[in-house]
Amino acid sequence: MSAPFAGSLLVGQTGDPLLFSVDAVAVGIVILKVLVIFALLLVATMFMVWFERKLISDMQNRIGPNLAGPFGILQTLADGIKFFFKEDVIPDKSQRKVFILAPYLAFVPAFLLFAVVPFGGDFNGGNDGMVTIFGRDTYLQLADPPIGVLFILAMSSLAVYGAMLAGWSSGSKYPLLGSVRASAQMVSYEAALGLSAAAVVLVTGTLSTHSMVTSQAGDGPWGVLPNWGILLTLGVPFVIFVIAGTAELNRPPFDLVEAEQELVGGFHTEYSSIRFALFFLAEFMNTITMSAIFVTLFLGGPSGPAFFGPGWMWGVIWFLAKVFIFLFMFVWFRATLPRMRYDQLMDLGWKVLIPLALGWFLVLASLEVADARQWNRWVVGAIAAVVLVGGAALLRKSVRSGAALRAEEVLD
Amino acid sequence: MGQYLPIFVLLVLAVLFGAGSFVASKLLAPRLPTSAKLGPYECGIEPSREPPRRFSVRFYLVAMIFIVFDVEVMFLFPFSTVVDEVGLFGLVAVLIFSVALFESFLYLLGNGALEWGPVVRKVIPGAVAPSRTAATTVRRVGTEGRGRVPAMARAADDGGAAA
Repeated sequence: MSAPFAGSLLVGQTGDPLLFSVDAVAVGIVILKVLVIFALLLVATMFMVWFERKLISDMQNRIGPNLAGPFGILQTLADGIKFFFKEDVIPDKSQRKVFILAPYLAFVPAFLLFAVVPFGGDFNGGNDGMVTIFGRDTYLQLADPPIGVLFILAMSSLAVYGAMLAGWSSGSKYPLLGSVRASAQMVSYEAALGLSAAAVVLVTGTLSTHSMVTSQAGDGPWGVLPNWGILLTLGVPFVIFVIAGTAELNRPPFDLVEAEQELVGGFHTEYSSIRFALFFLAEFMNTITMSAIFVTLFLGGPSGPAFFGPGWMWGVIWFLAKVFIFLFMFVWFRATLPRMRYDQLMDLGWKVLIPLALGWFLVLASLEVADARQWNRWVVGAIAAVVLVGGAALLRKSVRSGAALRAEEVLD
Repeated sequence: MGQYLPIFVLLVLAVLFGAGSFVASKLLAPRLPTSAKLGPYECGIEPSREPPRRFSVRFYLVAMIFIVFDVEVMFLFPFSTVVDEVGLFGLVAVLIFSVALFESFLYLLGNGALEWGPVVRKVIPGAVAPSRTAATTVRRVGTEGRGRVPAMARAADDGGAAA
């Protein structure tokens, strides 16, 4: 199968070759893959919780969990089992049905999000990341719909409903405040997230996550660097995406949703027992998946050189190594950075990240068209830079006049 | 639609996992409700006020402005997949759209639609309010519910006598 690129939606079937014609064997393989991914995701989430606690302990000169299993690695399992034996309280003032529904809305999208992430396969020498399971060609990825990136954005928007409805249905003060904050924060950073993801779609020319990795697997600038999204988009969308992704996950330094000093536990204050456990699970699973999405969009996913043994294994190794960097980064953020104030959070999202992401997207689009028309790249780039600086000056001016409206003069 | 089959299978599995957890919790967990447990959490005291029903209008503004940008993003995704086909024409169309959007965004910002911080109070240098006296500067705030503070009462009486 030739690599599906721009316009491939019209040209014939794209996506996982396993699913071109669905028969009993294909369904069996799909169920097997789903079960394996499901189990691995749960284990990875357990590991992530342990990893975060242990690493933060190290950074704070503490020991951390060290009793359950070697290095305390079974601590999360013990905590998880304990949740089953805890009393499940549904407050009197809650909206019962919505209260029960909300955890589902939080953790089901967290699972589904991982379905479009390619996590292995050999992308060297035209292999296209294909592996053979029971005589069928398939990708090491659950599903490869032609709208992969949109699916990612859709699922991360759905997670907003979980937080919003959980807080609203609790019938209590702090969860409600937490959920209003959460909704405003998550929709604010979603725009920046979408705009910077669009930049990657622009340079790779596809919405499918698998084709994105295929196009990033080739030789990059000057034949030495990898052809990764982070380089093709000139770095800025990557930084915006990481910041917006951290805010979307409600992780420190953007964890105002559950600022303990102000809001007790945020939107899940009233949740106990297994209902709380599912929110907790969703939070850490999203952390892992978001790291995997960073890797897919900007760092070439599982592509990388293969040395010995089966090629697909090297794909998995590269993928895990790249994801691990971001997991470490998230924990490091939490150990290092103080929480932002709410107005700073909103200012950063609306007045810096969104305009910058939009401007950068337009610059990249201009460069793309300039290349197609064989105009001088540098001249176009210089013009774009001037326009960008002009836009920034206008933005600054209107922010100032907006701030001046809110200032009032007082006598001492 | 075959490409969505694994997503559907995963969806079913995730929902089953959730339902199974709830069933397990029902079977294993104790059930001893008391009125204190079932009341809203308020750090150990009885809640004295209902949770707020009204919010700062800024939250609604953010939601509305977000929709504008979301529409923008929805236009940019199809554009970026076919940028090679639509070429200069497409770029100019997107630029016009973005400039219109950016301009209205500037208008919003200029009107303070996205100002979240506290109101900045600038003190006019050198000017002193005529109402400023010894009686008004002492304990201007926070006397509510504290009863009559003796020192203040004396100051107020002195001020009244002088006037």
